[in-house]
Amino acid sequence: MTDIADKEVIDLDDMDVEAFNEFATEQGWSDGMPLFVPTEAKVAKFVETVRGDNRPYAPVPPRQIIPTVQALAANAVMAGCKAEYFPVVTAALRGVLDPEYNLHGTLATTHSCAPMVMVSGPIRKELNINCGTNCFGQGWQANATIGRALGLMLLNVAGAKPGEMDRSTQGNPAKFTFCFGENEEENPWTPYHVQRGFAPTDSVVTVMSGEGPHNLNDHGSTTGDGLLTTFGAGMANPGANTVYGKGPMFVVIGPEHAATLKRDGFTLDSIRQELWRRSRIHLSRLSKENLKTYETTGHKPDGDWLTIGRSPDDIHITVAGGPGKHSAFIPSFGGTTVSCTRIAR
Amino acid sequence: MRIFNPTFGLSATSAEKVSLKPVNWQTDAIALMSNSKPNARELLEGIRGKLSAHRQVENIKFMAKNSASQPAPKELIQDIAKNYRAAILALGD
Repeated sequence: MTDIADKEVIDLDDMDVEAFNEFATEQGWSDGMPLFVPTEAKVAKFVETVRGDNRPYAPVPPRQIIPTVQALAANAVMAGCKAEYFPVVTAALRGVLDPEYNLHGTLATTHSCAPMVMVSGPIRKELNINCGTNCFGQGWQANATIGRALGLMLLNVAGAKPGEMDRSTQGNPAKFTFCFGENEEENPWTPYHVQRGFAPTDSVVTVMSGEGPHNLNDHGSTTGDGLLTTFGAGMANPGANTVYGKGPMFVVIGPEHAATLKRDGFTLDSIRQELWRRSRIHLSRLSKENLKTYETTGHKPDGDWLTIGRSPDDIHITVAGGPGKHSAFIPSFGGTTVSCTRIAR
Repeated sequence: MRIFNPTFGLSATSAEKVSLKPVNWQTDAIALMSNSKPNARELLEGIRGKLSAHRQVENIKFMAKNSASQPAPKELIQDIAKNYRAAILALGD
């Protein structure tokens, strides 16, 4: 008898959607929310959108399975994606397969990290990916289902079953979905993908294994200097993995904050330098035990202060969101990277 | 209704089997490998202490990854494979 896991195509006879969902849950395929049915016809439609992208996929850890495009498409169908979203999802998967992303570590850790997916370039508008008001939240099919599809791939292809391979102590709502677009139109500096060497006309997916967004609320400051004081203090978090000083982080600046910083002459580089300095954590805020651990693992204080990240270059900056005086800090898992992949079109 | 299996893929691991010589726990060199999380070293020290009641422990050495969140470097794994007959891993947290 062949196990279901060995079969590429499964015949479910006349099973209806409700019965399929019960079956899928029994198989461990679900993230807990209802799934769409990955019929042969639907999967074929998705596969058609990536014809021409013949680059092989690396084995997906921890399960070390080389996925078929059909299996990947089945996850995107189940997540509720439209077919035209599929090239974005596969680009995100290629991003997390970058060895420096450390997929095995980020999936098996007790940390709460989830794959942050950021989309840049013209495809944001073509797919109606939300880059503005409530960009981290609900209400947009593309944001909701692209992030969910990647999460289902990590569950079903990578094997990150909660409580088994996924050992996260508390998890994180971002594990359901965490996808947003850059607000390039209100970015007074350079869009993130262009900072990374892509052309403005390229469509690019950026991934980082991150915590959910930490809000940086500043309604009171009327200068860029004031805003950076608030941002730095918000980032100086002794409970985030960035305190170990070994990984990247994102600062997603809201458009109104960005306009103030730009008006006051701040550049991406000067913001990074200022945040590096202002996000240091005073040793009085660290327990003696933790400080001893950080010192013995090579992360020594600078005088009475501990820096977060390894250098200002660990601070990645973009603009997203709508009107309002909010920005966000997204610390990473630590032992990971920020990986960018051009979307094949 | 026929569906595509969302878990399907081709195995990337080799089916080749490696034959191992049995370990002599009384005399062979053993690596005590920490994942570099708090308490892993303490666990391994306890094991080494208990082993000392039964055998000489000069060839039982402590090893550690340089980062708890990242895989052990290849060089470290090769060093352990070359110089030790067994490794005991401690996953502290």
